[in-house]
Amino acid sequence: MKTRSFAWPGWAHLPRDSRDTLFLLVVIGWTVLPHLSHLPTWCTVLTGVVLLWRARLALVGAALPGRWVLLGVLVIATGLTFWSFRSLLGKEPGVTMAVALMALKTLELRARRDAFVVFFLGFFLILTQFLYSQSLLVAAAMLVSIWGLLTALVLAHMPAGSPSLRQAAALSGKTALLGAPLMALLFLLFPRVGPLWGVPQDGLSSTGLSNVMSMGTVAALAQDDSIALRIRFEGAPPAPQDVYFRGPVLGHFDGRDWTPLKPTFPPPLTPRADLRVEGAPVRYEMTLEPLRLAVIPMLEASPSGPVVEGVRVAQHDDLEWVAERPLYERIRFTGIAYPRFTHGPQQPVIGLQDYIDLPPGHNPRTLAWAAALRRDARYAQANGTTLAQVLLSHIRTGGYGYTLTPGLYGEQDPRSAIDEFWLDRRLGFCEHYAAAFVVVMRALGVPARVVTGYQGLDPTPVDGYRIVRQSYAHAWAEYWQADVGWVRADPTSAVAPDRVLRSRPLVTPPGLMAGALNGVNPQLLAGLRDGWEALNNRWNQWVLSYSRGSQLDLLQRLGFSAPGWEDLALLLVGAFSLLALAGAAWAWWERHHTDPWVRQLDRLRAALRRLGIGAADHDAPRTLAKRVRTQLSEAGEPLAVMLDRIDVQRYGRECTSRPDGRLTREFLALARRLKPMAADVSPTARNQ
Amino acid sequence: MTPTARLRGRLRRRVDAWWQSRSPRSDSLLLTQRNVYILPTRAGMMFCFTLGVLLIASINYQLNLGYLLTFLLAGSGVVSMHMTHNTLRGLTLHLRPVGPVFAGDTARLEAVLSSPGSARYGVGLRLQDASASTLGYTNVPAGGQATLHLGYVPPQRGQHALPTLNAETRFPLGLFRAWAVWRPAMSQVVYPQPERPASALPATRLVAGGTVQSHASSSGEFEGIRGYRRGDPLKGIAWKQAAKAMASGGDLVSRDSSTQSQQQLWFDWQSCGIGGTEGRLSRLTAWIIEADRRDAAWGLSLPGCEIPIDQGEAHRRRALEALALWSP
Repeated sequence: MKTRSFAWPGWAHLPRDSRDTLFLLVVIGWTVLPHLSHLPTWCTVLTGVVLLWRARLALVGAALPGRWVLLGVLVIATGLTFWSFRSLLGKEPGVTMAVALMALKTLELRARRDAFVVFFLGFFLILTQFLYSQSLLVAAAMLVSIWGLLTALVLAHMPAGSPSLRQAAALSGKTALLGAPLMALLFLLFPRVGPLWGVPQDGLSSTGLSNVMSMGTVAALAQDDSIALRIRFEGAPPAPQDVYFRGPVLGHFDGRDWTPLKPTFPPPLTPRADLRVEGAPVRYEMTLEPLRLAVIPMLEASPSGPVVEGVRVAQHDDLEWVAERPLYERIRFTGIAYPRFTHGPQQPVIGLQDYIDLPPGHNPRTLAWAAALRRDARYAQANGTTLAQVLLSHIRTGGYGYTLTPGLYGEQDPRSAIDEFWLDRRLGFCEHYAAAFVVVMRALGVPARVVTGYQGLDPTPVDGYRIVRQSYAHAWAEYWQADVGWVRADPTSAVAPDRVLRSRPLVTPPGLMAGALNGVNPQLLAGLRDGWEALNNRWNQWVLSYSRGSQLDLLQRLGFSAPGWEDLALLLVGAFSLLALAGAAWAWWERHHTDPWVRQLDRLRAALRRLGIGAADHDAPRTLAKRVRTQLSEAGEPLAVMLDRIDVQRYGRECTSRPDGRLTREFLALARRLKPMAADVSPTARNQ
Repeated sequence: MTPTARLRGRLRRRVDAWWQSRSPRSDSLLLTQRNVYILPTRAGMMFCFTLGVLLIASINYQLNLGYLLTFLLAGSGVVSMHMTHNTLRGLTLHLRPVGPVFAGDTARLEAVLSSPGSARYGVGLRLQDASASTLGYTNVPAGGQATLHLGYVPPQRGQHALPTLNAETRFPLGLFRAWAVWRPAMSQVVYPQPERPASALPATRLVAGGTVQSHASSSGEFEGIRGYRRGDPLKGIAWKQAAKAMASGGDLVSRDSSTQSQQQLWFDWQSCGIGGTEGRLSRLTAWIIEADRRDAAWGLSLPGCEIPIDQGEAHRRRALEALALWSP
């Protein structure tokens, strides 16, 4: 933007138009900035170039480009979007197009209408930001954006003079601040309903479990200490190694990602859930945070699903409980789980073939390793359980290590990621172990699959609740054993028993930066981090998890016995009616409210007129005093003195802000005691 | 005229009468709850639509921050409605006296806006019939005043009520437009349009006992001068001579108009050598302007109205007003 012929004059010295445009460009830049991490490179470059170009045009006062140029760039941007995403619909292409449109629209700021389009696109871009993250930082950054956009809007409506940015910012801040109570009211009481129609899964933030496991996803979760669910047990909690919350079951492996299996065989031939429980049940109550996932991570194994108002929940054949739609609200339910259970077919069914499928051409060395194991005379005829024990002991003794930062596998050859892990580096965490275990089992001819979910509990209860955090996300394996069914095997427990027994993820080694900071002042840093986490926690609890359940809780606390959404709507309407009434009352008061000085003078004049002294509307108290002196002489002197005092109070050097009520009353009382003069004395007409 | 058209006409008149009784003509207008109107603008509708889109997106993706954004904007919108209304309410509009103009010229209105309370931003004023682009904007400081000038071209000669004015504002967010209708009580005198190019002045008439002099204004020479007397018109001062006189310690010097009073001009309706009412009025007007420029004394004779020979500002105004208001 720096041109040789141009020197930056400073904000205050720019022509008003240029300054307003530059300000708007800065605000747009700030709004788009957080999007850059997930925009394609071409879009980032295009936006940057267009904004800088527009800034240059504003600074030198050059003409805007013609419509055809814009249309050309728009067509190119659309083409590039399609090229990047193979579609124009969906979240990513939508956001990309919105950013490109926003940038291009700045080149077309001619009429007021264009400006409004920019503002409204800006608000929309802010919303799309929340699809990626709703963290406190993003909220703060977007609040600045909203303020900036409103300020630009206010500037556009102050056509006269050259208002300073600060003035406009103060006015827009005032508008927003005054609007904040209304926002709070609406936020608290606006009835929350489920999604109006199905939204593609990609629209959701990726925190939490998901239906896809690729190398690295669970590691990201392990850094996330936010709460996934709270659980309270009736009686003693089960042993830590039995606390598995069953999430998505991933039976299909394409060489890179694990996804839920779509059976290739018709339903009668596929393995059924067929849960068989034994022993004493564990009764529990669970509060599940909005995981934005249809799967409900129930404690293993729950024979009956949760009862959630307005949502049908069903158990799939792989024993996971799934709601008909992703749950965006916090739900609370009671359940029964049997820590001792078996499930799945006890006799072989054809559908189990799907669970020994491996992508051809992948991980040849691991397959060879498995084949070698099979050739061992001891295991040639071994069943699944025996083989699983062999694998687990291999993991325990084969030099494997547990770390959350194993680095990337399959960088050189993505088709041999498991080879690299299983045979070469042998460092990883649950997902590596679960994936490798399942691949080896399948290579050995044993049906197996990956199960994801949460494992473990916070060791100490809070208010009777045990907390399960996102960092407890876990992946384990299940293999099929004739006469038994599906059997859980947790290869991670073989390499890091602590992970399973103590329910704490092993502490990640700090990065270089964190290490350096720790060296500086560990206490301060820990304090800061605690404060930040506490703040984040409040944010999560009060703002992000505020849901229909919280609304009904609120109503209950307000005294509604069995609140429903009708009560919410009623309360909202009532609150608005009250506000409107208050506004009307204020307007009425303002219309009938006269200045206290004027009121005082009116009363003085009325009293004087009764005495027969002419008092016109424009007469000041001083004038009246003079008239009283001439017309009433001696008798009027005290009145005249009082009038003089009132005059000084109102117009004198030390004038008071309000009239002196006592003085007024004294005056009126005294005037009442005087006898009225003859009507003809007054030279000044009373109807003046 | 069909019955429906007649009915519509009657309804229109009733509505107009009601409307006019609501806003009586007045030269100063205090804007109150009663006479400030407010409606959403097109941008306001667009804003509403945007809010709808944001709300639906928030519901569908269950974004609590989306709800917050939507509701914050909605709250700001509602607050802005009150701010827009407040910008006009409590404002006092006052019209400065307007001077007469010639038909075809632009009349200038000067309105003073005063705010007893807080500062008002982006208050605009325009003629009701003019397009919105003619809005003149100003900011009124807290407890202070601001002046706005408006120009308009009166339709024809005569005495006209001033056109209806609209005060409006869209401050702060442009989502609402508040406006007030102001019908000033003052009237505007519009002189006939002077003939252009002006035809030559008619021949002067002889006045008994006087010497007639051809008076070439271009010569700049005058028959006599005398000492300045209070009340002499500014253009009666002989500046050249006055400068000389003052340089030598003297006083201002006026032209001695007594020498001019002897040559008299009569502008007569009957003998102005052109047909048609407006044509004659135009010519007479042009003559008056020309004679006034030359400081000649003149008289005007219209059917049913005669203004005796005189000169000076008041005389000129009287004559031009007579022309402006003349009707056969």
